[in-house]
Amino acid sequence: MTFDWSVVWRYRDALALGTATTFLLTIATMAIAVPCGIVVASLRLYGAAPLRTFATAYVELFRNLPLILVVYWAFYVLPIVTGVGLSAFATGLAALSLNVTAYNAETFRAGINSIRRGQLEAALALGMTRTQALRRIVVPQALRRVLPVLASTWVSLFKDTSLVSVIAVGELAYVSMQARAQTFRVLEMLTAMAVIYWLLGYPQAKLVDWIERRYVVTE
Amino acid sequence: MSAGASVRAKASGTKAIRYLDVVKRYGAFTALAGVALDVHAGEVVCLIGPSGSGKSTLLRCTNGLEKIDGGDIEFEGARLGRDERALRAMRRRMGMVFQNFELFPHLTAEQNVAEGPRTVLRTGIAEAKRRAAAMLAKVGLADKAASYPSALSGGQQQRVAIARALAMEPDVMLFDEPTSALDPETIGEVLNVMKVLADEGMTMVVVTHEMSFARRVGDWVAVFDAGRIVEEGSPEQIFERPATTRTRDFLSHLTWGA
Repeated sequence: MTFDWSVVWRYRDALALGTATTFLLTIATMAIAVPCGIVVASLRLYGAAPLRTFATAYVELFRNLPLILVVYWAFYVLPIVTGVGLSAFATGLAALSLNVTAYNAETFRAGINSIRRGQLEAALALGMTRTQALRRIVVPQALRRVLPVLASTWVSLFKDTSLVSVIAVGELAYVSMQARAQTFRVLEMLTAMAVIYWLLGYPQAKLVDWIERRYVVTE
Repeated sequence: MSAGASVRAKASGTKAIRYLDVVKRYGAFTALAGVALDVHAGEVVCLIGPSGSGKSTLLRCTNGLEKIDGGDIEFEGARLGRDERALRAMRRRMGMVFQNFELFPHLTAEQNVAEGPRTVLRTGIAEAKRRAAAMLAKVGLADKAASYPSALSGGQQQRVAIARALAMEPDVMLFDEPTSALDPETIGEVLNVMKVLADEGMTMVVVTHEMSFARRVGDWVAVFDAGRIVEEGSPEQIFERPATTRTRDFLSHLTWGA
């Protein structure tokens, strides 16, 4: 068996573009799923009854569906239901965001619940509204406390973006598979893809560990 | 009950807070079984009595952290707000100090004190900082402005918590067992700050187990038992000539070996 690693080099531009798309997807998904997760968690904790039920139903639905199914669903069903045709990238982003928002909501809910009630009371006693108390006092503490969990969600998400390759979003996995199909260099392309994912994922995980140590709040 | 027998030194006619037959229940448990008490402007009223007798509950009802099930509470002549907006307006004028300090751990001492003026009163950052500096100086912690709560002793944290409440320039201060969670050697520094406030004429309602504070600083003392006030009067009357067996009983248990 002979190996031809030059194919990896030949596809370097495509791989670089795919990597950039992977990063963009991860960042955009988190940029949507962190604030949305906070909102959904707040609704579950403090919303009026119908909103609470809706938020709970949302979380339980998307937490218990395979992500790849959500991706397919967003691609085939969403345009029919909404009548809006999105690009493959936007569709993938929507699917990932729906999924990660559900996870983040649970993370934030646990984080907010872990802040003792006296903190909310101290804020209310100053005359703050419940929203102000949450925004200024409870959520910032909860955020710091859940950073490690968000971090591992981030690293999972970075890898899970590969699932949107099934709807032809040109991220790293899709580009690698395309190259594999064109060159029949399965082992080389899969190895290159693994190396790229690992080399990029590992420092992110380490960075997140550092952030956690840096922002830890001691009581 | 011989409350009328003691002289109420600061009875000014202006009532800061009136408790009118306040009832509070938690399920089948009655925490407050009809409490009536007046707090006059400029007075230090101390609530004493055994644990679970309803003192803290009454304090927490005062600013609406707990909702009452019966009776009424009047603050500066107006009925305590039932809706959130009216309640918030009253809370701005009532400072509260908690047993466990409840400083915001993600903020420095200065930010803790500036938070109320900044977020609630919308004073602007410069004014909030000015108030924070002034209040931290008042409680003797000007040098700790940049410290996070975790770097402060219990006594220092409680003094910052007092500064945080004072920065709102309240009419009344509510203290919920402010020294119960402190090491014995730091209790004095907190009581000293409270004494200064009292001397300045701040209206204060203090739930406390520090009998020496109630005796020396209090203008009026109410003794709680099982959700009721069993006796109220001047400190001299309560501590020298308690009228009820329940008060005598309670006070006698406070001194070890008595």
